[in-house]
Amino acid sequence: MTSTPFIIGMRDAFFDALYEIARTDRNVIIISADNGAPSLDKFAQTLPNQYFTVGIAEQQMIGMAAGMAFEGKKVYTYAIAPFITTRVLEQQKLDVCSMNLPIVNLGIGAGYAYDIMGPSHHTVEDISIMRALPGMKIYCPADAICSRALVDLSYADPSPQYIRFDRAGIPNIYAGRPVDFTPGLVKTREGRDMYIVATGIMVHQALKVSDELKRDGLEVGVIDVCRIKPFPVEWLFEYLEEVPWVVTLEEHLLAGGLGGIVAEIFVDSGVTTPLLRIGQEDRFVFTYGGRSVIWKKYGLDVPSVVEKIQTWMSSRSGGVEFAKRAAVR
Amino acid sequence: MRGQSTGDLAAIAKWVRLKVVDMAVKANSGHISTAFSQTEILVSLYFGGILRYDPMNPRWEGRDRFIQSKGQGGIGLYPVLARAGFFPLDVLEGFAQEGNMLGVHTDWHIPGIEVVTGSLGHGLPIATGMAQAALNDHKKHLIFVLLGDAELYEGSNWEAALMAAHKGYSNLICMVDRNGQGTIGYTDRIEGQNDGPRLNPLDRKFEAFGFETRVIDGHDFGQIFEALKDVRARPLAAGRPLMIIANTRKGKGCSLMEDERFWHYRVPAGADLESVRRDLRP
Repeated sequence: MTSTPFIIGMRDAFFDALYEIARTDRNVIIISADNGAPSLDKFAQTLPNQYFTVGIAEQQMIGMAAGMAFEGKKVYTYAIAPFITTRVLEQQKLDVCSMNLPIVNLGIGAGYAYDIMGPSHHTVEDISIMRALPGMKIYCPADAICSRALVDLSYADPSPQYIRFDRAGIPNIYAGRPVDFTPGLVKTREGRDMYIVATGIMVHQALKVSDELKRDGLEVGVIDVCRIKPFPVEWLFEYLEEVPWVVTLEEHLLAGGLGGIVAEIFVDSGVTTPLLRIGQEDRFVFTYGGRSVIWKKYGLDVPSVVEKIQTWMSSRSGGVEFAKRAAVR
Repeated sequence: MRGQSTGDLAAIAKWVRLKVVDMAVKANSGHISTAFSQTEILVSLYFGGILRYDPMNPRWEGRDRFIQSKGQGGIGLYPVLARAGFFPLDVLEGFAQEGNMLGVHTDWHIPGIEVVTGSLGHGLPIATGMAQAALNDHKKHLIFVLLGDAELYEGSNWEAALMAAHKGYSNLICMVDRNGQGTIGYTDRIEGQNDGPRLNPLDRKFEAFGFETRVIDGHDFGQIFEALKDVRARPLAAGRPLMIIANTRKGKGCSLMEDERFWHYRVPAGADLESVRRDLRP
């Protein structure tokens, strides 16, 4: 994948559906910190009392959202992901979470979606940081179908929420099949030998990795965690009980991210299934040329992930052969 | 002014200050001097007929919203709220102690308090949201915010000021407790390394943003009421938010503490405590 074009995707699917709700519920408010979207224009044009832009002033955006939510409004805030999370962490902590206000934060460009923009626009620490805020729910859709479903879920739920969207038009995984996103987790592909637990863009990568590992004779399933907090623990257990190997894959720092969450759950629950966490190490990325270049350099492209998994399996209990036998048992 | 004479209000202010000292001593927690600089402002709002509130129904929809953005002044607000009837006076006795609802910084669990504050620079942005919500819903209540002047070092205030002026929130009444001090330094009296960047000319800064600005003596009831007398009449006509810069003195009312940096968070004891109590005797 090269630097991605700005085309209709999960964000616009979200705003299009939200617009239909906002037309009938005047308490639905959107506040943008100077961040546009084709699908937002109609809010500004037809619902001027429900759409506000505060300029490049994210602290003001969250504070104003809190004031409006306090008065009974359902407020959606919108900015590039780093600026709606780490830039305004204290507002999220105090104004939003400590007062448990119905604010849905829409962050665009999770992970390395803003690839060539550099570390200012990379958002690879938001899961670990936002999940530390009591009461904050976190969603991460893998495609526009899930994104569309999150409109209804977010509207019905008065909790503080953070939805981390990818930036570009990501292909739809769930087109043409009925999927229930309410559990917060989707078994995207059935597995027998291993499950890759992934979120967002990495669900797509996981499916490709699964295709590759099939050549080794492995049936690798994929689990899409679209609700990271509260983590759908029971569902995870139900699926993971079936396999002898578990891998987590995220375009996020390993510190406190998806893999960290799964590891915590395993330890807390006494699960001893071998777990490999694949994500970004403790570093900033000043690498340009596109997302695929970053992935390749830091081991998140498909060949690197496949190799990591193969190496890991080989180093444990007889490796791939063991996995095959274990699956047969 | 409604009901109370200036003399009555002065007596209430003295009572509030004495309560603050008692609470601080008992809890061994300070912020006395910052509570004293805001006393006349709060007493005017709550007992001078300015704020609309119902202590029996703290979240009454028609109430004016009051945000104590300088959350460290909670110790000075609690006696006012108790006396106004939001909770029993004896709750003050347990300030910041086990089992008591009153903490050092104001939070929304306390009857009469709208939002959590304590970290500075949060109140004004939240107030703009309340102001906009009131406009959306065609509601007539006002939104009052009490800011500390050193709080204005927080950039979020200026983000909010831009928006408030841009949207012309004339239902937003801001008051700055202009005591001229932060925790360790002065704001505009540059004497040493601890003194912050100058805030002056503060009135002209807010004027330039688009506020209507009024500068008063924040300990003079007459001036406070003069500055607030048209707040309910002006919203439609004004088309801009109001900023009242109330010049005050930290530790006002106690000769020992007045304008002394030393007393930002210190609790008096021994002869000092005697001196403070002597000054506040009814």
